[in-house]
Amino acid sequence: MRKNFTGLLAWLVQRITAVYMLLFIVFLLAHFLVDPPHSYPAWHGWMMGSSVSIATVVFFAALLAHAWVGVRDVILDYVHAMVFRVGLLVLLGFGLTALGVWVMRILWMERA
Amino acid sequence: MSIRDMAASKRRRPVFFNLMQIQMPVGALTSITHRVTGIFLTLSVPFSMYLLDLSLQGPQSYEQVISLFHKFAFRGAAIIFVWVLAHHLLAGIRHLLSDVDIGSQLPAARRSAWFVNLGGIAVALLAAGALL
Amino acid sequence: MHFSIFRYNPEHDEKPYMQDFQVDLQPTDAMLLDVILRIKNFQDDSLTIRKSCREGVCGSDAININGRNGLACVTRVRELKEPVELRPLPSFPVIRDLVVDMTRFWKQYHSIKPYLINDEPAPEKERLQSPEDREKLNGSYECIMCACCTSQCPSSWWNPDKFVGPAGLIQAYRFVSDSRDRATQERLDDLNNDPYRLFRCRTIMNCTEVCPRGLSPSRAIERIRLRMLNVEGHGGGLALHRVPTIK
Repeated sequence: MRKNFTGLLAWLVQRITAVYMLLFIVFLLAHFLVDPPHSYPAWHGWMMGSSVSIATVVFFAALLAHAWVGVRDVILDYVHAMVFRVGLLVLLGFGLTALGVWVMRILWMERA
Repeated sequence: MSIRDMAASKRRRPVFFNLMQIQMPVGALTSITHRVTGIFLTLSVPFSMYLLDLSLQGPQSYEQVISLFHKFAFRGAAIIFVWVLAHHLLAGIRHLLSDVDIGSQLPAARRSAWFVNLGGIAVALLAAGALL
Repeated sequence: MHFSIFRYNPEHDEKPYMQDFQVDLQPTDAMLLDVILRIKNFQDDSLTIRKSCREGVCGSDAININGRNGLACVTRVRELKEPVELRPLPSFPVIRDLVVDMTRFWKQYHSIKPYLINDEPAPEKERLQSPEDREKLNGSYECIMCACCTSQCPSSWWNPDKFVGPAGLIQAYRFVSDSRDRATQERLDDLNNDPYRLFRCRTIMNCTEVCPRGLSPSRAIERIRLRMLNVEGHGGGLALHRVPTIK
């Protein structure tokens, strides 16, 4: 794991996902200030429209990748015993994957 | 002092490491807060996803989410969340600019660190004004 | 002037303690080192500190002054807040009083191969370097390896054996920037293949804050990352900044 996921690659992922998320948040804020949804149908329609839902799924993918690099950094810094370090990283990996699957279900499952 | 005594003293050499006595420059404060806010944000992702899920499931659960925002305690938590997000965002932008050599010299870096620290609070106050 | 100095003698102290000294400043006392030596000469000759050049170029007398690392010989003593608290460099094992064990620090320095690597046949005289190429070394060659930066770096505190540290990395940058060196890719790969050697750096910038020569290890590290991406920094070396005063 160490040799493949080089320092530079992780750092790049963290930076690139950060830029995407920043742009998404700015876009989100701008939309909510200019044209906030006032009802469930408006909210649901906007969120589930293809471009917004795709952008949102990408946002969450970016968020999970960004969180992976960030929390991994914290673990690498403070957890020195190999057993705990690997254990926590594995837990982190599974946790973030689970969140990824959840967000796919939220945004791509058909709802009434 | 015998060789054995010298070896023993080497093994138990003390270390000066009292964080209360070591200066923390403004950039260091920005940095540790960036890390702490990052952890907080990661921990808040599941709950945020839960709210998103609820809000999209149907009109009743959507109303449930909206009604949460009427609770005073929830609004307080939301303001704290806004501060956490704003600080992490601003500190992150500071890092991104520093990566491309903008503001990475010491005087500029100190100014931007102050800006991030105060800017996060300012955004939170704005949110407080809007929500309360 | 009131001083409080960290004392520890392994021969008879169980643990370190702070000792107070009162000093009447003489007109000739400009720098902190002057006062420390007068304390040693006239009040307590067991007080131990490394010192040599007394002009800020050897790096021997790096200590922690009122919480902030610096060189005693170029720190203006009258500008210091009292009681002046002098301690050894943080996180380094203390040998005695203000003298610390620098072994780990040197090990990290050696690990980045701080020498020119060039197996091409030696020319008759020197390996030539244009003035423009020589300028690229500015802002990194001036490092005197005093360890002020590395001992103030939180990433070095948490992982001293795996993270190279600001001093080692600014020297790595010095060699990566040297046009006469032929091992650039190996140097970059060595720092990249491990998530610890360079990438523990979070650009906290404590290093740049305390460097007594006005260098920016944090900026050198950013430049190394860009070099790994094959992006050359704009020509010329790294600028020095005015050293902030220790109060």
